[in-house]
Amino acid sequence: MKRFQSIISRVVALHVVAIGVTSILMPLALFLLLDQAANSLHRDALRSQASTIAGFLRPQPGGGVALDMPADLEPLYSGGYGLYAYAVLDQAGRVLFSSRIDGEALFPPDESRSGGWFMRRRGTGSVLLGITVVRTVGDRPYRIQVGQDLAHRDVIVDDIVSSFFPRVAWITFPILLALFLFDILVFRRALEPVRAASTTAATIGPMRTDVRLPEQSLPAEIVPLVRAVNRALDRLESGFRAQRDFTADMAHELRTPLSIMRARVDALEPGAARDALRADVVAMTRTVSQVLDIAELESFVVREDARADLQLVCAEAVGMMAPLAVDSAKVISLSGAEGPVWVRGHPEALFRAVRNLIENAIRHTPNGGAVDVEVSPDCVVRVLDDGPGVPEGERESIFRRFWRRDRRESGGRGLGLAIAARVAETHGGSIAVENRRGGGAAFTLRLQPAVVP
Amino acid sequence: MRVLLVEDNGELVALLNKGLAQGGFSADSVATAGDAAHVLATMRYAAIVLDLGLPDDDGLTLLRDLRRRGDATPVLVLTARDGVSDRVNGLREGADDYMAKPFAMEELVARLQALLRRPGNLLGRRLVFGNVALDTEGRQVIVGGTVRAFPARETAVLEILLRRSGNVAPKRLFEDHLFGLSGDVGSNAVEVYVHRLRKMLADAGATVKIHTVRGVGYLMAEDKSG
Repeated sequence: MKRFQSIISRVVALHVVAIGVTSILMPLALFLLLDQAANSLHRDALRSQASTIAGFLRPQPGGGVALDMPADLEPLYSGGYGLYAYAVLDQAGRVLFSSRIDGEALFPPDESRSGGWFMRRRGTGSVLLGITVVRTVGDRPYRIQVGQDLAHRDVIVDDIVSSFFPRVAWITFPILLALFLFDILVFRRALEPVRAASTTAATIGPMRTDVRLPEQSLPAEIVPLVRAVNRALDRLESGFRAQRDFTADMAHELRTPLSIMRARVDALEPGAARDALRADVVAMTRTVSQVLDIAELESFVVREDARADLQLVCAEAVGMMAPLAVDSAKVISLSGAEGPVWVRGHPEALFRAVRNLIENAIRHTPNGGAVDVEVSPDCVVRVLDDGPGVPEGERESIFRRFWRRDRRESGGRGLGLAIAARVAETHGGSIAVENRRGGGAAFTLRLQPAVVP
Repeated sequence: MRVLLVEDNGELVALLNKGLAQGGFSADSVATAGDAAHVLATMRYAAIVLDLGLPDDDGLTLLRDLRRRGDATPVLVLTARDGVSDRVNGLREGADDYMAKPFAMEELVARLQALLRRPGNLLGRRLVFGNVALDTEGRQVIVGGTVRAFPARETAVLEILLRRSGNVAPKRLFEDHLFGLSGDVGSNAVEVYVHRLRKMLADAGATVKIHTVRGVGYLMAEDKSG
């Protein structure tokens, strides 16, 4: 079910169906009820007519009855154009009086039918509605039949029923539509806290493990979900913390024996063996430091409001790496912005990223070459070297951990570029390498401007 | 020079004691923050070498207490915690210098000496690098054993470079020292003095060289080209 992802759209879709069905069924139901009401009104009218006619029956001294109808009522029942017809039958079903010209009963006498009769008149084809009322006149029951030609029935009642569809039924549709729009508003309002919680949830990432979704003011149906999410976040955060603690412990466990080893080597008699051992310890130290940096950066969090002066960070990194460059007869320089360039970031992490980029540049620049670190005010650092450049196919893989151009080659680029890439990632920035037109590589570290407090 | 070494690893303490002794320091060592606080309550040291990972308490707490009491004894922090988020913390708490384990013994000694050479400390009189020496009291420059007459401004530049020897001295440092706050600093004034000093040192046969780190400052290093 990809079509209705949002609750609102589901509600709307179901609502549209409901409105469609209701706007057909409701007028029909109303019409049926109205028609029934009209018919029962007619029946009541006929019944009262029958009572009136029964009132005119007079018992005769010799048995039997006489119909003593006032003259002014006669036209009402006259066969030709009268609205009504009547017949009076005795218990045996013989017709005593009838308004019909042929003197017949209106419909066959039947005890079981107490409600009413609908019958089609043969001559005109119009429908006759009739009822039978039983009255006792002078010890004997008589059946009075009264009928009405539906082709001429009472005008007002008729009008109400026949004008129901064009005049009244249409109102159901706009009412339903208004209800529909109102319901959409109600739903949107009801779901507003959910929407707010979703916005908060969107800010949660490795950068912000401390955020929790608000549980107040949420619909009760959603609270369990939010609570479960918050609990999952708790676990996530404690996982991050455990990782950080582990990294710190690992640093201690690795660096302390290395310190002892280094001090022992330094205490040895000067000579080739000591120098070789020292170089080993230095290389080992570098790898350990880089592994620890990578491990720490795995769970590293840069606060939203953290600020760093990129120009100062680069000046410090260049200053720190300058002795190394000078040592191998390379020129290192800082160019670009002269004032502070505020970026969103952790100064020490950025320092390590830039330092690793510079270290990489120095390593790949031939003796006598130059490394330039260029800071631009739009939060970008470019580290330019005079080395052989990076082949097109390696420009992505070069930032992977322990990546080496050739597996058999010892001492590759190691972790330095992976650290720089990871720092860029934790800062929501990016890192890329391209070749300079005049030769050499250009590493570009892009960061985000600092959040203005 | 008596320094206090606060470090809990016995092997490392033994090696450090030896290294410091070779560097001209004599060290007392304690293994816990509690012992360190106890010793520091009665004794004064020229400097403290403080490991942050102590068994009983964080070395930073000790440092903070020390500074709160107004004790300005130079502190060189040693730590195995050289994580991205650790370095800044150490210095903010009032450490004078900071070294990550493992470190070179020579560098520890050099940094301790640098701490003690800072203005206000006794060990600041004679700065040496390569075959260049400067008597900071007498303002005398000695290159290869011969006393040279360097102008005051060039001598000041040399002093800054010698105090930071092996590290880059930021350009701002020269501007502040040479011209103070009032001085009108031409954009290339520092460059002019560095250029002159460079020439004087070369003429005098110095084994050190001043490198320009454009955009950052100057770096004095031993000249390898001979």
